[in-house]
Amino acid sequence: MIKPLLTCLLLWLACALSSLAQESPFFVTYTHHMEEPGNLEVETSTTTGVPRSGQRLYSAPYLELEYGVTARWTSELYLEGQSTAGDSTVFTGWRWENRYRPLASEHWINPVLYLEYEDLNEASRIQKEIEGGGPELTSRNTLLTSEHAHELETKLILSSDYHDWNISENVVIAKNFSADEGVELGYAFGASRPLARLASGANCTFCAENFIVGAEMYGGLGSTRAFGTGDTAHYVAPVISWMLTGNSTLRFSAGIGLTHESNPLLIRVGYTYEIQGFGGRIAHLFGRQP
Amino acid sequence: MKALIICLAAIAVAGLCLSAQNLAYVPDSSWRAPQSAVARHNPLSDRRELAAGGRKLFARNCADCHGSDGSGNEKKHSADLQLPMVQEQSDGALFWKISNGNTVRGMPSWSKLPELQRWQLVLYVRTLKPADPAAH
Repeated sequence: MIKPLLTCLLLWLACALSSLAQESPFFVTYTHHMEEPGNLEVETSTTTGVPRSGQRLYSAPYLELEYGVTARWTSELYLEGQSTAGDSTVFTGWRWENRYRPLASEHWINPVLYLEYEDLNEASRIQKEIEGGGPELTSRNTLLTSEHAHELETKLILSSDYHDWNISENVVIAKNFSADEGVELGYAFGASRPLARLASGANCTFCAENFIVGAEMYGGLGSTRAFGTGDTAHYVAPVISWMLTGNSTLRFSAGIGLTHESNPLLIRVGYTYEIQGFGGRIAHLFGRQP
Repeated sequence: MKALIICLAAIAVAGLCLSAQNLAYVPDSSWRAPQSAVARHNPLSDRRELAAGGRKLFARNCADCHGSDGSGNEKKHSADLQLPMVQEQSDGALFWKISNGNTVRGMPSWSKLPELQRWQLVLYVRTLKPADPAAH
C-alpha cells in the first residue's frame, strides 16, 4: 500500500516540471508583487494552533481564490473554517480582498493599497492578520459562532526588492461594524530571499532555486480605545516556500508566540496551484477576446 | 501520399504559428528605460551557457503571453521579442523592462526574480530568432 503511494507521489513530483514564478513564502505579510493578469491562483492553507494551558488545539483551514484582474489589481476570495479538539468544526465565514498598486513601475519602496470586507464570526482563527488583541482562544465554538463580525479592513503595504531580498512592511487598520470596539490596529513585516541566484538549465524539483526562505513578524496593536502591545498576540515565524511542480508551491511556517495571548506555536501549511490564462479561457467560453 | 500529408501538416503548423505571432505589435513609446539603465552591462554576457537557465525561466514566466518562441500574441497585445525593435535594444534596457514591467499595458514587474535570473532572461531573449526572417 505504501509503496504505490510513494511511487505516485514521486511521479507527481517529478512529472510537472515547467513552472511559474514562485510564491512569496509569507503567510501574513503582503509584498507588492501582484498576481499575473488573467491568472487564477487556488490556495488551500491551514493554521494550526498548539495550545497553552486553558486553550485547546485547533486547526483553521481556508480556501483562497486569487485572480489577477490587471497587472496592478489583484482580487481574492476566502472561505474559512475552524475545528477545535474536544469541541466542534464550524464554518467561520468569508472575506473578499482587493489590492491595488498605485505606482506603475518599480521604486525603492512600492506601496500597495489593500481593502477587504469580512463577513466572519468570532470563531475565525486563520489569522491571516492579527488586529486588536488577536483571536479569542478559550471560549467554545457555540458561543463564538453566535457573534458575527462584519469588518472592513485596510492595509498599507510597503515593499522593496533589494539585492534579491524582499523586505515588506504592512500596517493593518480594521473596523468591526458589528461591535463597538473602536478601530483595531495591527502590523506585519518580513524579509525573504531565494536560496539560489541563478537558474539551472535543467528542470529540477529539489534544486536550491526552487526555495525561498525568510522570516516574518506580526501581531496586534490594540485599538483606538486601548492602543499598545499589552494583551495582544504577537508571533515571529521562519517561513519557507518550495516550488514543487509546474504550477504549484508548498509553503510552511512555524510561528513562535511571543506573548501570553499568543499560541506557543502556530503552524501554517499552504499549497498553491496556479492556473495560467484562466481569465482568457473564461472569456473564450463566452466568445470574447481575453 | 505520405509526403503530401507531411507537407499539409507542416503548412498547418506554420499557419498556426504565424496566426499567433504578433506582427502587428505596436510598442508603447512612453515605456523607455532611463539612460542609466540602458548603459548597464549584462554581468553574464561572457557566460552564454547560462541562457539555458534563461530558457527555463522564460518558459515558466514569459511564454504564456509572449509565446514559447517569443513571437508574441496578438490577442494579448504582447511584444514579438524577435522583432528588430526589441533585439536592437541594449541588454540594460531589456533588463530594466523585465524588472519594471509595463503595468499599464498588462506586463507585470518581474523584480521578484533574483537579479541574475533576470540577466539570464536577457541572455535567452537574445537567442530568439524568427523562424521565417522574411516575416519580419
